[in-house]
Amino acid sequence: MEQVLCNLVVALRGSGVRISPSETMDALAAASLVGFQERGVLRDALSVALAKSRTEKEIFTDCFDRFFSPDGFSTPGATPPLAADAAPNETDSPLSQMLLEGDRAGLSMAMREAADQADIAGITFFTQKRLYIQRILRGMGVDGLDRDILRLSREDQETSPQTVGALKIGREFLFEQVRDFVERQYALYAASAQEAIMDRYLRHMKLSNLEQRDYERMHRIIQRMVKSFNDTHSRRKKGARRGLLDLKKTLRENLAYQGLIFEPRWRARKIDRPDMAVLCDVSRSVEAVSRFMLLFLYSLNEELAKIRSFIFCSNMAEVSYIFDAYPVEEALMRLQRGTGLGVDLGRTDYGQAFRDFKEKWLEKIGRRTTVLILGDARNNYGAPETGILGLIHKRARRVIWLNPESPPFWGTGDSEMRRYLPFCTLARECSSVHHLERVVCFLVRNT
Amino acid sequence: MGLDNQRKFGAIQEVRRGFQDVGYVCSTQIATTLYLAHHLQKPILVEGPAGVGKTELAKAAAAYLDRPLIRLQCYEGLDESKALYEWKYGKQLLYTQILKDKLADLLEGTEGLADALARVHQYDDIFFSERFLAPRPLLLALQEKEGAVLLVDEVDRSDPEFEAFLLEVLSDFQVSVPELGTIHAVSRPYVFLTSNNTREMSEALKRRCLHLYIPFPDARLEREIVRVRAPGVPERLRAQLVGFVQQLRGLDLKKVPSVSETIDWARVLMILNARDLGPDVIRDTLNILLKFEADIEMVEGRLGEMAQKVVR
Repeated sequence: MEQVLCNLVVALRGSGVRISPSETMDALAAASLVGFQERGVLRDALSVALAKSRTEKEIFTDCFDRFFSPDGFSTPGATPPLAADAAPNETDSPLSQMLLEGDRAGLSMAMREAADQADIAGITFFTQKRLYIQRILRGMGVDGLDRDILRLSREDQETSPQTVGALKIGREFLFEQVRDFVERQYALYAASAQEAIMDRYLRHMKLSNLEQRDYERMHRIIQRMVKSFNDTHSRRKKGARRGLLDLKKTLRENLAYQGLIFEPRWRARKIDRPDMAVLCDVSRSVEAVSRFMLLFLYSLNEELAKIRSFIFCSNMAEVSYIFDAYPVEEALMRLQRGTGLGVDLGRTDYGQAFRDFKEKWLEKIGRRTTVLILGDARNNYGAPETGILGLIHKRARRVIWLNPESPPFWGTGDSEMRRYLPFCTLARECSSVHHLERVVCFLVRNT
Repeated sequence: MGLDNQRKFGAIQEVRRGFQDVGYVCSTQIATTLYLAHHLQKPILVEGPAGVGKTELAKAAAAYLDRPLIRLQCYEGLDESKALYEWKYGKQLLYTQILKDKLADLLEGTEGLADALARVHQYDDIFFSERFLAPRPLLLALQEKEGAVLLVDEVDRSDPEFEAFLLEVLSDFQVSVPELGTIHAVSRPYVFLTSNNTREMSEALKRRCLHLYIPFPDARLEREIVRVRAPGVPERLRAQLVGFVQQLRGLDLKKVPSVSETIDWARVLMILNARDLGPDVIRDTLNILLKFEADIEMVEGRLGEMAQKVVR
């Protein structure tokens, strides 16, 4: 039974539920306590020990149902078609006897045992299916069955032809059942392994090459990243909360002890909440990437309290409220189309955008603000207004520029990146999630 | 006592019946969890929307086990001195003052500073003994001889540091007081932690707990809850009011009515002597279920059809 539960844990881990060895032990203990008689109770017990959040519970229920689904042998009506006058006692191998006697429970047991022997939980790629089918068949003793067929077809007793016929049909049936079984196990174990590979692959892929269907997955990856960023960040801040000794308060509080200082009181240090202003380019030249920049922005918004978001193209507009008002899909669509936001999607004009920013929002930039600019700095040969970026740089704690182009292209053609560079605390290429992750790491380390 | 509890947790159905007797109707899921928590000696982390009876579950457990309930309400800034123990500074000070005269007697006949110090050293621990220790909820729960039910309420509100500190208590049922050493539980308490999910709890904490998610009950279970908690409500009305609340939960409200509000509503309807759930009765008492003006307005608009659905 332990093997079965361990396989279930493997399947769960693959589907994204994090399970530690100690939790596996709990599950084993729980299962032996409640027993395997009642499916519902067993499921509840395992769910309590293994799945530790609401989403994990949903994954668990789904996985449990698939894992303990009946195989082909146990569904009634799927018995091998038997020849009435076949003689089980003529055969040698236990497998042939089970087939001829229609012993479904025995077959099912044999198959699962063989599957465990073959380590079915290790299946990762669809190309391995045939291999596992063969391994399981061999484990069940298909060789003995073949020998029986061969031997009986040579002998010519009266009942042999019928027995041979029944065995051949039985072999077909067996193969089909094992194939279905492996198919289902593949869906259970491999879907998860594929997922991990896919995640890894997407991280290094250029954002501009991603396809529509990957957006969802990408959103999850980014969300996870931002969350870990924020977790680390906020924890560091709290650790350093106690400030200097508050002498006045200490004396007052300790008057009761004849002025002896028993309980020192500390000044509370102000918590340095991350304060951010993000300027995101949504023009056509960065269209493919801007969606992900916005996705990143959306996730940041969910996690950080104090963040102001702006988008710009020919001019600039504040869009912070959009993130709170709409779910992610709709928010992104609105932002990219720019409808009703007061942003003009004509020629990209960094100069105008910076002028707008200076006029309306420069006041809000304080010495604790991090300004994050996402864009390719391609200004259509307009005035770059580097002076304003200089002003922002002077007021803000730091200016970070993320450019989807790689550094050799900076400053070529209408790119003004080289002229903006002196006013950036940090300028990095950012064209894949991997890059984004590096920037986030930098942000965390330097706060 | 131990034997008694073994009997009380003999079977899952037994637990379920027992909790019903103390006024808590639980689903099989909850009963299974309680059963496992007793036998595996693990804390239960209870999550779920507000007002589904998370805290109530701990109270019921205390009543069922006939043990004291020790409650620790968490909030931001909660620290060891409020949760675990504190030295009684005032008492220590007072005693040193009273015993000042004794000091002279004590040191009589000593020669030199080193000798005097050595003599004082023989007594140095008296001011840091259990006599001067003010136990807070966690320590109280460990010291309870017959075992206690410990409820750590809304643990998601506490700081991550406090959460880390809880780990020692929850996994080994012991705490370390630097001056006294490690204090072990006299008898393992039955621990509940509740969380409203305002922040994700750490992996380490979750690993040490059984995790129970209590969703809003389905109609059948909720009818049963109303029957137990508000006896005297006629069966017909009970079905109707539960049906109405279940409908409300399906709407896009700012705050959906909780189970406790259903029970309150049932009691109010009983006091008002309502026989049937008509639109008028609902309109007059809607503020018991809904706590936002916008929600009330929204529901009032479609009261007629909703009421009709349940009365039928």
